[in-house]
Amino acid sequence: MSDLAKEKAARLLKKRGSMSSQGSRELRSKETAGKVKDSISTVSYIDEPSHHDDNVRPAVQMENTYQLGPVKRFPVLTVTDILKDVLTTYLQEEKYEVELSRQMTKTISEVVKARVKDLMIPRYKIVVLITIGQLNNQNIHVGSRCLWDMTTDTFSSYTFKNSSLFAVANVFAVYFE
Amino acid sequence: MDEFQTGSESVEGVIGGSAYQHSRVSQWTSSVVEQSLSQLSKLGKPFKYIVTCIIMQKNGAGLQTASSCFWDNSTDGSCTVRWENNSMYCIVSVFGLAI
Repeated sequence: MSDLAKEKAARLLKKRGSMSSQGSRELRSKETAGKVKDSISTVSYIDEPSHHDDNVRPAVQMENTYQLGPVKRFPVLTVTDILKDVLTTYLQEEKYEVELSRQMTKTISEVVKARVKDLMIPRYKIVVLITIGQLNNQNIHVGSRCLWDMTTDTFSSYTFKNSSLFAVANVFAVYFE
Repeated sequence: MDEFQTGSESVEGVIGGSAYQHSRVSQWTSSVVEQSLSQLSKLGKPFKYIVTCIIMQKNGAGLQTASSCFWDNSTDGSCTVRWENNSMYCIVSVFGLAI
Protein backbone atom coordinates (compact mmCIF):
# COMPACT_ATOMS: atom_id res chain seq x y z
CA MET A 1 0.00 0.00 0.00
CA SER A 2 1.30 3.48 -0.74
CA ASP A 3 2.30 5.88 2.01
CA LEU A 4 -0.42 8.34 1.00
CA ALA A 5 -3.08 5.71 1.52
CA LYS A 6 -1.66 4.83 4.93
CA GLU A 7 -1.66 8.48 5.98
CA LYS A 8 -5.24 8.94 4.85
CA ALA A 9 -6.29 5.81 6.71
CA ALA A 10 -4.50 7.03 9.85
CA ARG A 11 -6.25 10.42 9.64
CA LEU A 12 -9.64 8.73 9.22
CA LEU A 13 -8.98 6.52 12.22
CA LYS A 14 -8.09 9.46 14.42
CA LYS A 15 -11.45 11.01 13.58
CA ARG A 16 -13.49 7.84 13.83
CA GLY A 17 -11.72 5.73 16.42
CA SER A 18 -13.21 7.50 19.42
CA MET A 19 -16.68 7.63 17.87
CA SER A 20 -17.00 3.90 17.35
CA SER A 21 -15.88 2.98 20.86
CA GLN A 22 -18.46 5.34 22.35
CA GLY A 23 -21.15 3.77 20.21
CA SER A 24 -20.47 0.24 21.42
CA ARG A 25 -20.36 1.32 25.06
CA GLU A 26 -23.76 2.97 24.70
CA LEU A 27 -25.19 -0.19 23.23
CA ARG A 28 -23.87 -2.35 26.00
CA SER A 29 -25.41 -0.09 28.63
CA LYS A 30 -28.73 -0.21 26.78
CA GLU A 31 -28.69 -3.98 26.96
CA THR A 32 -27.77 -4.16 30.63
CA ALA A 33 -30.56 -1.70 31.47
CA GLY A 34 -33.00 -4.30 30.21
CA LYS A 35 -34.20 -2.41 27.15
CA VAL A 36 -33.16 -5.15 24.77
CA LYS A 37 -34.18 -4.43 21.23
CA ASP A 38 -34.16 -8.08 20.22
CA SER A 39 -31.21 -8.46 17.93
CA ILE A 40 -29.36 -11.62 17.15
CA SER A 41 -25.94 -11.82 15.66
CA THR A 42 -24.07 -14.82 14.31
CA VAL A 43 -20.53 -15.03 13.06
CA SER A 44 -19.33 -17.65 10.63
CA TYR A 45 -15.84 -18.31 9.33
CA ILE A 46 -14.90 -19.85 6.02
CA ASP A 47 -11.84 -21.44 7.56
CA GLU A 48 -11.18 -22.01 11.26
CA PRO A 49 -9.49 -19.08 12.95
CA SER A 50 -6.05 -20.34 13.82
CA HIS A 51 -2.59 -18.92 14.05
CA HIS A 52 -1.61 -20.26 10.67
CA ASP A 53 -0.90 -16.70 9.63
CA ASP A 54 2.28 -16.63 11.74
CA ASN A 55 3.53 -19.98 10.53
CA VAL A 56 2.89 -19.51 6.84
CA ARG A 57 4.58 -16.15 6.29
CA PRO A 58 8.21 -17.36 6.51
CA ALA A 59 7.48 -20.54 4.52
CA VAL A 60 6.33 -18.79 1.34
CA GLN A 61 9.46 -17.58 -0.39
CA MET A 62 8.91 -15.62 -3.55
CA GLU A 63 11.55 -14.22 -5.82
CA ASN A 64 11.56 -10.52 -6.54
CA THR A 65 10.26 -9.67 -9.96
CA TYR A 66 11.04 -5.95 -9.60
CA GLN A 67 7.73 -5.30 -11.29
CA LEU A 68 6.09 -2.07 -10.16
CA GLY A 69 2.65 -2.53 -11.66
CA PRO A 70 0.50 -5.00 -13.56
CA VAL A 71 1.58 -5.80 -17.09
CA LYS A 72 -1.98 -6.46 -18.22
CA ARG A 73 -4.78 -4.55 -16.52
CA PHE A 74 -8.05 -6.15 -15.48
CA PRO A 75 -10.63 -5.87 -18.28
CA VAL A 76 -13.69 -4.57 -16.44
CA LEU A 77 -16.02 -4.40 -19.43
CA THR A 78 -15.23 -7.94 -20.56
CA VAL A 79 -16.01 -9.20 -17.09
CA THR A 80 -19.29 -7.25 -16.97
CA ASP A 81 -20.27 -8.95 -20.21
CA ILE A 82 -19.38 -12.33 -18.73
CA LEU A 83 -21.57 -11.61 -15.70
CA LYS A 84 -24.48 -10.47 -17.89
CA ASP A 85 -24.14 -13.55 -20.05
CA VAL A 86 -23.95 -16.05 -17.19
CA LEU A 87 -26.76 -14.55 -15.12
CA THR A 88 -29.11 -14.28 -18.10
CA THR A 89 -28.53 -17.81 -19.34
CA TYR A 90 -28.90 -19.38 -15.92
CA LEU A 91 -31.75 -17.33 -14.50
CA GLN A 92 -33.91 -16.12 -17.37
CA GLU A 93 -36.68 -18.65 -16.93
CA GLU A 94 -36.26 -19.55 -13.25
CA LYS A 95 -38.68 -18.95 -10.41
CA TYR A 96 -37.34 -18.39 -6.91
CA GLU A 97 -37.22 -21.66 -4.98
CA VAL A 98 -35.13 -22.20 -1.87
CA GLU A 99 -33.20 -25.34 -2.86
CA LEU A 100 -32.83 -24.36 -6.49
CA SER A 101 -31.52 -20.92 -5.65
CA ARG A 102 -29.11 -22.33 -3.12
CA GLN A 103 -27.57 -24.58 -5.76
CA MET A 104 -27.79 -21.86 -8.35
CA THR A 105 -25.79 -19.29 -6.35
CA LYS A 106 -23.00 -21.79 -5.78
CA THR A 107 -22.99 -22.95 -9.40
CA ILE A 108 -23.05 -19.46 -10.84
CA SER A 109 -20.22 -18.26 -8.65
CA GLU A 110 -18.08 -21.22 -9.71
CA VAL A 111 -18.91 -20.66 -13.38
CA VAL A 112 -18.10 -16.94 -13.22
CA LYS A 113 -14.84 -17.67 -11.41
CA ALA A 114 -13.86 -20.22 -14.09
CA ARG A 115 -14.65 -17.85 -16.94
CA VAL A 116 -12.73 -14.98 -15.38
CA LYS A 117 -9.78 -17.33 -14.80
CA ASP A 118 -9.92 -18.25 -18.48
CA LEU A 119 -9.09 -14.65 -19.32
CA MET A 120 -5.66 -15.45 -17.89
CA ILE A 121 -4.92 -12.10 -16.28
CA PRO A 122 -1.62 -12.70 -14.50
CA ARG A 123 -1.09 -11.86 -10.80
CA TYR A 124 -4.70 -10.97 -10.08
CA LYS A 125 -6.65 -12.57 -7.24
CA ILE A 126 -10.39 -12.85 -7.87
CA VAL A 127 -13.30 -12.69 -5.43
CA VAL A 128 -16.78 -13.43 -6.86
CA LEU A 129 -19.86 -12.65 -4.78
CA ILE A 130 -23.33 -13.73 -6.01
CA THR A 131 -26.57 -12.82 -4.25
CA ILE A 132 -29.93 -14.23 -5.40
CA GLY A 133 -33.12 -13.09 -3.70
CA GLN A 134 -36.84 -13.43 -3.99
CA LEU A 135 -38.90 -10.46 -5.10
CA ASN A 136 -41.57 -9.86 -2.48
CA ASN A 137 -42.07 -6.10 -2.52
CA GLN A 138 -39.28 -5.68 -0.04
CA ASN A 139 -36.36 -3.35 -0.19
CA ILE A 140 -32.74 -4.41 -0.15
CA HIS A 141 -29.53 -2.44 -0.15
CA VAL A 142 -26.16 -3.96 -1.02
CA GLY A 143 -23.02 -1.91 -0.37
CA SER A 144 -19.31 -2.55 -0.35
CA ARG A 145 -16.12 -0.69 0.41
CA CYS A 146 -12.59 -1.81 -0.25
CA LEU A 147 -9.24 -1.01 1.22
CA TRP A 148 -6.85 -1.57 -1.66
CA ASP A 149 -4.63 0.08 -4.21
CA MET A 150 -6.81 2.22 -6.45
CA THR A 151 -4.42 2.21 -9.37
CA THR A 152 -4.25 -1.57 -9.80
CA ASP A 153 -7.37 -3.06 -8.20
CA THR A 154 -10.91 -2.88 -9.49
CA PHE A 155 -14.33 -4.50 -9.45
CA SER A 156 -17.18 -5.29 -11.79
CA SER A 157 -20.87 -5.59 -10.96
CA TYR A 158 -24.12 -6.63 -12.67
CA THR A 159 -27.74 -6.86 -11.50
CA PHE A 160 -30.32 -9.12 -13.11
CA LYS A 161 -34.05 -9.16 -12.49
CA ASN A 162 -36.96 -11.27 -13.70
CA SER A 163 -40.55 -11.60 -12.53
CA SER A 164 -39.85 -13.56 -9.35
CA LEU A 165 -36.23 -13.07 -8.41
CA PHE A 166 -33.28 -10.74 -8.61
CA ALA A 167 -29.57 -11.51 -8.74
CA VAL A 168 -26.57 -9.32 -7.95
CA ALA A 169 -23.10 -10.36 -9.10
CA ASN A 170 -19.87 -8.69 -7.93
CA VAL A 171 -16.38 -9.54 -9.06
CA PHE A 172 -13.42 -7.96 -7.22
CA ALA A 173 -9.94 -8.16 -8.72
CA VAL A 174 -6.95 -7.52 -6.47
CA TYR A 175 -3.38 -7.27 -7.77
CA PHE A 176 -0.88 -9.50 -6.03
CA GLU A 177 2.33 -7.55 -5.62
CA MET B 1 -8.31 -13.84 9.94
CA ASP B 2 -9.68 -14.14 13.41
CA GLU B 3 -10.37 -10.59 14.52
CA PHE B 4 -13.82 -10.38 13.06
CA GLN B 5 -15.42 -9.30 16.26
CA THR B 6 -14.67 -5.89 14.74
CA GLY B 7 -17.18 -6.67 12.00
CA SER B 8 -20.00 -7.54 14.37
CA GLU B 9 -19.22 -4.60 16.66
CA SER B 10 -19.47 -2.08 13.87
CA VAL B 11 -22.84 -3.49 12.81
CA GLU B 12 -24.19 -3.30 16.35
CA GLY B 13 -22.81 0.20 16.74
CA VAL B 14 -24.44 1.63 13.63
CA ILE B 15 -27.85 0.02 13.39
CA GLY B 16 -28.16 -1.67 16.78
CA GLY B 17 -31.54 -0.48 17.92
CA SER B 18 -33.15 0.81 14.75
CA ALA B 19 -36.11 -0.38 12.76
CA TYR B 20 -35.95 -0.53 8.98
CA GLN B 21 -36.26 2.89 7.37
CA HIS B 22 -35.98 3.19 3.63
CA SER B 23 -34.53 6.67 3.73
CA ARG B 24 -31.68 5.71 5.99
CA VAL B 25 -30.63 2.40 4.51
CA SER B 26 -27.97 3.67 2.16
CA GLN B 27 -26.52 5.75 4.96
CA TRP B 28 -26.42 2.65 7.18
CA THR B 29 -24.74 0.40 4.63
CA SER B 30 -22.08 3.05 4.05
CA SER B 31 -21.38 3.62 7.71
CA VAL B 32 -21.35 -0.08 8.63
CA VAL B 33 -18.86 -0.74 5.88
CA GLU B 34 -16.73 2.29 6.62
CA GLN B 35 -16.53 1.52 10.33
CA SER B 36 -15.57 -2.10 9.69
CA LEU B 37 -12.93 -1.00 7.24
CA SER B 38 -11.42 1.55 9.58
CA GLN B 39 -11.29 -0.98 12.42
CA LEU B 40 -9.67 -3.50 10.09
CA SER B 41 -7.05 -1.04 8.94
CA LYS B 42 -6.32 -0.29 12.60
CA LEU B 43 -5.08 -3.89 12.89
CA GLY B 44 -2.12 -2.84 10.81
CA LYS B 45 -1.70 -6.11 8.94
CA PRO B 46 -0.34 -6.30 5.36
CA PHE B 47 -3.75 -7.09 3.88
CA LYS B 48 -6.09 -5.62 1.30
CA TYR B 49 -9.70 -5.78 2.49
CA ILE B 50 -13.06 -6.04 0.72
CA VAL B 51 -16.10 -5.45 2.93
CA THR B 52 -19.63 -6.07 1.64
CA CYS B 53 -22.84 -5.26 3.47
CA ILE B 54 -26.37 -6.36 2.55
CA ILE B 55 -29.33 -4.87 4.41
CA MET B 56 -32.73 -6.37 3.68
CA GLN B 57 -36.16 -5.64 5.04
CA LYS B 58 -37.97 -8.57 6.66
CA ASN B 59 -40.87 -9.24 4.39
CA GLY B 60 -41.00 -12.99 4.02
CA ALA B 61 -38.67 -13.02 1.05
CA GLY B 62 -35.76 -15.41 0.74
CA LEU B 63 -32.15 -14.52 0.00
CA GLN B 64 -29.15 -16.66 -0.98
CA THR B 65 -25.55 -15.45 -1.17
CA ALA B 66 -22.53 -17.36 -2.40
CA SER B 67 -18.96 -16.40 -3.07
CA SER B 68 -16.18 -18.10 -4.91
CA CYS B 69 -12.60 -16.92 -4.64
CA PHE B 70 -9.42 -17.43 -6.59
CA TRP B 71 -6.62 -16.73 -4.14
CA ASP B 72 -3.90 -18.26 -2.02
CA ASN B 73 -5.57 -20.43 0.59
CA SER B 74 -2.73 -20.26 3.02
CA THR B 75 -2.63 -16.48 3.31
CA ASP B 76 -6.10 -15.23 2.37
CA GLY B 77 -9.48 -15.75 4.00
CA SER B 78 -12.94 -14.40 4.61
CA CYS B 79 -15.57 -14.10 7.29
CA THR B 80 -19.30 -13.39 7.30
CA VAL B 81 -21.43 -11.90 10.06
CA ARG B 82 -25.22 -12.28 9.96
CA TRP B 83 -27.20 -9.88 12.12
CA GLU B 84 -30.92 -9.43 12.47
CA ASN B 85 -33.52 -7.62 14.50
CA ASN B 86 -37.30 -7.42 14.29
CA SER B 87 -37.49 -5.55 11.02
CA MET B 88 -34.39 -6.31 8.98
CA TYR B 89 -31.45 -8.55 8.19
CA CYS B 90 -27.89 -7.41 7.75
CA ILE B 91 -25.12 -9.56 6.26
CA VAL B 92 -21.54 -8.30 6.36
CA SER B 93 -18.80 -10.19 4.49
CA VAL B 94 -15.15 -9.39 4.87
CA PHE B 95 -12.49 -10.72 2.50
CA GLY B 96 -8.82 -10.27 3.36
CA LEU B 97 -6.14 -10.74 0.72
CA ALA B 98 -2.47 -10.75 1.55
CA ILE B 99 -0.24 -8.37 -0.30
